Order: sequence, then structure tokens, then C-alpha cells
Amino acid sequence: MILFTILLTVGSYLLSKALYLRYRHPLLNIVLLGAGLVITTLLALRIPYAAYVPGRQAMTWLLGPATVGLAVPLYRQRSLLRRHAREIAAGVGLGSLASMLTAGLIALAAGLPREVVLSLLPKSVTIPFAVEIAGIHGGSPGLASAIVVATGTLGSAFGGTLLTWAGIKVPVARGLAMGTGAHGQGTAMAFMEGERQGSMAGLAMTLAGITTATLAPLMVRLLLR
Amino acid sequence: MKKNLRFLGQVALLAGIYHIGNLIARWAHLPIPGNVVGIVLLYVLLNLGLVRLEHVQEAADFLRSHLVFFFIPVAVDLMNWGGVFYRYGFALALAIVASTAMTFLATGAIAQWMEAKGKACAD
Repeated sequence: MILFTILLTVGSYLLSKALYLRYRHPLLNIVLLGAGLVITTLLALRIPYAAYVPGRQAMTWLLGPATVGLAVPLYRQRSLLRRHAREIAAGVGLGSLASMLTAGLIALAAGLPREVVLSLLPKSVTIPFAVEIAGIHGGSPGLASAIVVATGTLGSAFGGTLLTWAGIKVPVARGLAMGTGAHGQGTAMAFMEGERQGSMAGLAMTLAGITTATLAPLMVRLLLR
Repeated sequence: MKKNLRFLGQVALLAGIYHIGNLIARWAHLPIPGNVVGIVLLYVLLNLGLVRLEHVQEAADFLRSHLVFFFIPVAVDLMNWGGVFYRYGFALALAIVASTAMTFLATGAIAQWMEAKGKACAD
């Protein structure tokens, strides 16, 4: 069973990636498409989620080391990081706060259950950080990852237009907004706009994860005593 | 063969730093995930020259290019959460749309403002 679930996941990844590379449409998201294929297959074969868990653990043990490796692009771009330190600190800091506050307040006002609110807080950061942040504070990793993908899809489809409409033209500012607001998916979009935007978005993506992880305990205490 | 061994060594080094990050987070009772501590740790080690790019970059670049693969098994957990979307779909969508727009605008606006201010000071 463990071998079957791993093969199923790898197959779904390869198929989703091939579809994405062929059409390059922001709605063809590899994570959602891949997970959708796996879930549909499990449901169709009447395999319970519990049977998927051992395979899931085998596949995700490399996620930790992979995430730590995100320090490498950060280090390669350290001169860019230093040159724009003030804009980056202000943009990523304010954006991360705005993301958690807006999502948290709306969710509370709508009366969503605590677990769902906690899964919404890290919505703008890349999945490995979001999953851990949600988990530490009592949210659901799966729900958090789906919300992250929804955010990234929305941000990469409409974020550029929104920035242009708001008169935000400076490439550094656009890149920072795309990386802070829509993590890896926003970064891919930023690279399509230009090298400068892409590099800034990549920096912002990782730094927003670190910032959100640091501010989340405060936000949880503030919003959900 | 030698190349594969070096690659595995790099993965082991990344895994070791990740593990130390987890230990630090747990030992110091930090309310911050171990992978966040690990990434900061690796960045500091690179800057101090204790770890050099050639010690980690092949494994780091390879894993990063396939990062999306690791997200799929995490997202499969969603099959336990179908009911939440059914019940709270509208509120969830509203929270996601409003918060994403606010994040883009807040980051973009302050970064553009600071960039303009920086230029004005330099002149």
C-alpha cells in the first residue's frame, strides 16, 4: 500500500506538471491538481485517508531539508538584500501583518471555528512554513496548505493588475508585493515580469515566511485568547 | 558515483541543520517552527563561512526545483476537510480575497514610498 500511494503521488505530480508546463495557466496549479488526482483516486478505490499516511510520511521527510535549503538563494542574493534592506523590511513586515490581521479579523467576524481561523493566519507564506505555523498553534496542515494555494493562485492571477491599478510601478516594490502576498506562485509571476521583480519576490517569499512565523504567536494571542 | 555520494552528503548536511533547528526550537521552547530556525541557522553559517555554498548548493537547488512535489502529499489531507468548504466557503473566500489584496497593496505601497524617499534623500 505504501508503494502504491507513493507511485500514485509521483504519477499525479508528473501529470500535473506536464499539464502546467504545456498550458502555463495560473489556474492549473500543480499542488491542487496533483492532490485532486490523488484524492479522487483514493475515493474511487475506497482507500481511507489513514492508509495514505505512511506514504505521506515517507515522502515528506525531505521537505524539512528542502526548506532549510531556501537559505541558499537568500545568501546568493545577499548584496541585493543589503542594498534594499529598508524597503524589504518595511514591505515584508507590513505585508505580513496586513495578511494575518485582515484574514484573522474577517474569519472571526464571520464566526469561523478556531481551527479554521488558525489555518488562515499563515495564508500568504509558502507551504512548508504555513503548515508548521498552523500546526504549532492548533490549525490544520491540510487546510492551511489549501488556503495557501488559493491565495497564491488568486495573487498570481490578479495581483499584477491590482498593483498596476493602484499605481505601484517600481519593479522592486512590485516584486516584494508578489513574493509577500503570493509566495512561490507570486514569485513565478514576478519572474515573468522581469529579473529584478523575480529576485525581489524570491527574497520576500522566504523572509515573509520567517516574519510570519515570528509574528504569529503575537497575533494568535491578540486575536484568539 | 563520487558525484552521487557528494549529493547525498549535501542532503545529510541540510537534514542535520534542519534537525538542529528543531532541537533548538524545542529546547528553547520557541513558538517558532524548527524549519524556520534551520533556514536562519544555515544563512548565518553561510555568512560566517562555516558552511560554504559548494557544501550545500547542488542538493539545495535540486530539492528546491522539486519543492512543489512535497506539497502534494501535504495537501491530500484536504480530503478530511471537504465539509469546511461546504459550510464556510463564502466567509473563507472573502477572508482570502480581502487579505490577499491588502497584502499586495500594503507591501507594494510602502516599498514604493520608501524607494522614492530614498532616491530623494540621495539627490
